[in-house]
Amino acid sequence: MKEAKEWVKEQKVSIEEILFDDLYERARERGVERVRQAVDEGIVREVAMVSEADCIMEIFSYPIARMIVASVESDYLVRRYALAEAKKAYESMKNEEGSFIDYLAREMGVEVSGNEIYFTDYLKYAPTWDINWKLVNREMRKGYVLLSKSEVARLIQEAIRKKIYNELAFAFAPPEVKKVFKDEILGIKNKVIFKEEKRKVGEVKEEGFPPCIKNLIAAVKAGINVPHVGRFTLVTFLNAVGMDIEEILKIFASSPDFNAEKTRYQIEHITGRISGTVYATPKCDTIRTWGLCYPDEYCRNIRHPLFYYRRRARK
Amino acid sequence: MSFLRRKFYSYYLNPRIEFPPRFDRREYAFILFNEDTMHRHISFSSRNDILSYLKMNVPAHAYYSSAYYRHPSAERMMDKEWMGADLIFDLDADHLPNARNLSYEEALKEVKEELKKLLSFLMEDFGFGERDIKLYFSGGRGYHCHVCNEKVLELGGQERREVVDYITARGLDIKKVMGEKNLPAEKFSGRFSIKTIKINPNQGGWQGRIARAIIDFFKRIKNMEGEDAIKELVKIEGIGEKTARAIYDALTDERMKRIEAGLLDQSTEFRKIAKPLVTKLAVSLHSEADEPVTADIKRLIRLPGSLHGKTGLRVTGIDIKKIDDFDPLTDAVVFGENSVKVNVLKKMEITMMENHFKIEKGEAKLPEYLAVFLVARGLAEVRPP
Repeated sequence: MKEAKEWVKEQKVSIEEILFDDLYERARERGVERVRQAVDEGIVREVAMVSEADCIMEIFSYPIARMIVASVESDYLVRRYALAEAKKAYESMKNEEGSFIDYLAREMGVEVSGNEIYFTDYLKYAPTWDINWKLVNREMRKGYVLLSKSEVARLIQEAIRKKIYNELAFAFAPPEVKKVFKDEILGIKNKVIFKEEKRKVGEVKEEGFPPCIKNLIAAVKAGINVPHVGRFTLVTFLNAVGMDIEEILKIFASSPDFNAEKTRYQIEHITGRISGTVYATPKCDTIRTWGLCYPDEYCRNIRHPLFYYRRRARK
Repeated sequence: MSFLRRKFYSYYLNPRIEFPPRFDRREYAFILFNEDTMHRHISFSSRNDILSYLKMNVPAHAYYSSAYYRHPSAERMMDKEWMGADLIFDLDADHLPNARNLSYEEALKEVKEELKKLLSFLMEDFGFGERDIKLYFSGGRGYHCHVCNEKVLELGGQERREVVDYITARGLDIKKVMGEKNLPAEKFSGRFSIKTIKINPNQGGWQGRIARAIIDFFKRIKNMEGEDAIKELVKIEGIGEKTARAIYDALTDERMKRIEAGLLDQSTEFRKIAKPLVTKLAVSLHSEADEPVTADIKRLIRLPGSLHGKTGLRVTGIDIKKIDDFDPLTDAVVFGENSVKVNVLKKMEITMMENHFKIEKGEAKLPEYLAVFLVARGLAEVRPP
């Protein structure tokens, strides 16, 4: 990545050339394709690179794609694109030698040696709300967490996603980009708006929430630091009753260590927008062992917080 | 001026304060005598200013923030601009399940055991060196462990919580940690494939800790008389007398060898046995209801070298190598031997400065250090002279 960046610089190709010169027509097409694939499929597909020209077009298509994304001016697109590029990197890591992964890790500033990663980097990028990724269930020795090769790749994917997101979140593209890709940008914008609209769903009756959930909401809103499992429970529940991500995010906004981008990512992960796995709301037993259960009179014979809601919300 | 405040003043004329790293980026907070409110959002640009403040105000309690701020004296958290924070573990007798029945000295001994467990996690699993770790007697009923290392500075609240969960075994999945697999049939009975767990005492992390604990446990059981062993086994939740007997009878020399090699059969039983072992290995860092403070990225911690208003003892640094030798009621004492007339409110026995005292209720002449300790704890009074 850094190398590609350096290489692009060394070629002394101007932005005008990339945007207007016939020579780079294929790079521009591929740049648009990258963004379209990100929107439609959630991943940027790898292309076969046979000739040197293929490689050059692929390399130049990346900054073009980024300029297009920046021009659309949609946070949703930036997030989706960052993830799609990161997934592409993950796919290529799976097929590459360990040395390539080490190389990428170093690029991202992640301390990896072989299949071991330093725990602070692990915590930065691992989805620790998932019991399998919780640090306590990992083998750790002298500060290094032992992982499988694909798990290392998964963490680097997240590091890449973060990096691309942070770079693009506040980036501006040169005004010419909007002219050159006028139609493409319009098309992408429409799709993005359509996708965002689709995620909004029906009305939520908060008064029907079970006491454990009400407590969690109150705690989060009061700025009390709620344990991980509590946040997890809350997000899975709110998602199941049909709240959209923006609304869920609003609830978390008063948390003391609120980080909009990180929280959004976690919410999107838990609710299946990213991974495809929608995490289920834990049942009452589990919530009880976590010490988050404060039953009221309607909790009798209820074994799952969603049953409580369905019963109470109907009235 | 009250007796206690006078004594504290005499100490703060020439105190031994250990200034925290980057002391000028920290927020300080103080509670003064006869006040309930905390004076917060104070910052100092020189060490001398801290010393003058202590001399001028003679606080009963002195704190600084574990966090570093760009503007430590700003009144609103958001204006302070958080830059990072040390990782702080607060081990307090109040967090132990059986603390209420223990004397002050006993409680502190128990906490010290927790402290040693914590250290083993921090050094073996997390790989921190002695240079990164500072230990303090809190002046009260516990110990503080500060980890100052540039890698942990930027950890956020949730990441710190993962560290706490690791040390307290919260969210530990025994099934996952123990690793179950079906071994090829001929290895055991010749006919069946048996669910076997392969544990490895040489592994790092919880895997290795649990493995070592299980092997030790069985060694201990094997060396016990039959009935004692059964008694020990039925203490475990989910194991009845019948199962206990079966487990004990099956502990042949042959079987013991398999266990020592890390091969455990009957996986469900082992999981039951592992559960209480995990509880024993984990650090009791906080009671169930308490919010674990370590995960808090902006907490206040007692200033090393200051006095604790509820004991008169000094917040004192401890050399990691000499934990066992540290005796709070000797090493954290700053006051002298001059005798002081006090009115003792309760009969008690206590060892302080290596002297054993048997004190009756009523008037007594006690050395100053003991008088301060008892008055601070509310166990004795001094009439104004």
